[in-house]
Amino acid sequence: MWRRTPLLLFVLLYTVVSGGPFIWVAVMSVRTTPEIFASPYALPSRFHWEKFVQAWAHSNYSTYFWNSIIVVSTAVVLITIFGAMAAHCLARYRFRGNRPIRFLILSGMILPPQLLILSLFQILLDYHLYNTLTGLILVYVAGHLAMTVYILEGFFAQIPQDLFDAARMDGYGDFEIFWRITLPVGAPALFTTVTLNFIVLWNEFLYAVVLLTEDDKRTLPLGIMHFMGSHQLDVGMVATGLMIAITPVIVLYALFSDTMIRGMTAGAVR
Amino acid sequence: MLQGIGSRGRREIDARRAAPATLTLFLAPALLLYAGFTIYPVIRTFYNSVQTIGPQGQQHFVGFANFSALLQTDFVFWKAVGNTALFTIVATIADVFGGLLLALVLFARAPLAPLLRIVWFTPVLMSYVVVGIIWVWIYDYDWGLANQVLRAIGLGAFEQSWLGDPHTALWSVMATHVWKWLGFNMIIFLAALYALPGEVLGAAELDNCGWAAKLVYIIIPMLRPTVVNLLVLSFIGKMMVFDLIWIMTGGGPLWSTETVSTYVYKRAFDWNTFDLGYPSAVAVLWFIIILAFIVLMTRLLRQHDRLEF
Repeated sequence: MWRRTPLLLFVLLYTVVSGGPFIWVAVMSVRTTPEIFASPYALPSRFHWEKFVQAWAHSNYSTYFWNSIIVVSTAVVLITIFGAMAAHCLARYRFRGNRPIRFLILSGMILPPQLLILSLFQILLDYHLYNTLTGLILVYVAGHLAMTVYILEGFFAQIPQDLFDAARMDGYGDFEIFWRITLPVGAPALFTTVTLNFIVLWNEFLYAVVLLTEDDKRTLPLGIMHFMGSHQLDVGMVATGLMIAITPVIVLYALFSDTMIRGMTAGAVR
Repeated sequence: MLQGIGSRGRREIDARRAAPATLTLFLAPALLLYAGFTIYPVIRTFYNSVQTIGPQGQQHFVGFANFSALLQTDFVFWKAVGNTALFTIVATIADVFGGLLLALVLFARAPLAPLLRIVWFTPVLMSYVVVGIIWVWIYDYDWGLANQVLRAIGLGAFEQSWLGDPHTALWSVMATHVWKWLGFNMIIFLAALYALPGEVLGAAELDNCGWAAKLVYIIIPMLRPTVVNLLVLSFIGKMMVFDLIWIMTGGGPLWSTETVSTYVYKRAFDWNTFDLGYPSAVAVLWFIIILAFIVLMTRLLRQHDRLEF
């Protein structure tokens, strides 16, 4: 038993270090700023739930939240459909150009965002898509196709060929095969990429900060930064704002922790 | 390779073949978006890197002038390169080996391991904005947790303005970055540890092999491919580090946390020069360097693997 004491101490310490900051923000989100400055690490004496109403209604938080929902859900749906179509095509069919096309798409995984962002700014201005949610959605879809195709193609390629031969014998067309075999059989992989893309895009900051400047177009991460800038000293309100951004992720994580862990780490092991 | 041999009837039911029109339909949406919003921007950035662009968008060809100015006279760029290199090397090593340590702790049958794995992974899911703001508070001079803890344990002499002092700012941001990503590496190592063949570890136990020996002679050598993958992955990510630095320090104070990525952003959108040519040159140069490192690292580390087995 004594032999394990250092191990247990380490476990306890790291749990506090990794989880503690979030508990701290949760506590601060229901305390007022004067209370926090009087004693930053005390427990709430009274729960100020009205701060959430205030943040939601009196600053632009509801706008940021819905912008994020619109952008992220549209982008994830499009990435999944287009990515699955391309992955199915690359995994199932033999044709000239298969390898070059695969290489072209997958090479997108190592492009630094800085290489794209400068000219994307110009290009979206040219297309009249600058400062629009549509523009950001298209950029997100294009930017996350590579990883999605990589994960899906690997999975689709392992579906037994017999299944497809049999379907072809039964007279299924190419699109029926995609719709009624690849997608249902590949559902676990699709679910993984949906989770991965959802989290990554929900948190995305760099593209959004360059491509959106109007306040009513901002997504949540930009909204919080803006809020932080204008309420620098109002720590209590900023904590409430952070909590609004964290809560959906925490709720999903509590329900689907294994799927989310698998999603975030998919593609890392080859 | 059946398609050449089979009769016409065979070819029609070959599920490996499809009409060109069908293939085009499957690939078109992805390829069009990819061409318009990834390939075209990359080409345009390369093109911009040999131009000077004025406020009204007028472009002049300047050849490699941007590159030579960058390499010869731009001390901020060199400062940024130094910071990025330090950040990349230290944070990559800390991330990968820290993750390995956490995974080993859970693998050694720590109590509540399934639950701890979930708690320890939480920072990976949080956005840089959330993490950055929380840690700006933790590093706050007056009421931040870092200084409070130091004062409480009687080390008040070491209290710092962590993000305000050029000597500690980069290290402080680095610590936050490592804190955010440790859980990621832990999960990958944990999966690799559970995939190790049980017979080998069992045989070692029969031979009375201690924990340390088992770790050094069996576990680490067998995890080598995972270590290499994570080193490369983490390295690429850190070479491009932007969000956390932008949120916590904006590159300051006195360029002490300026990285190549924050410098590109600043030159393009914050300096009001409107010249996208110069920052494009920085981005292109940095991409080539990253690419060279990726090729070098995979060659060196993976080739070695093949020779060993």
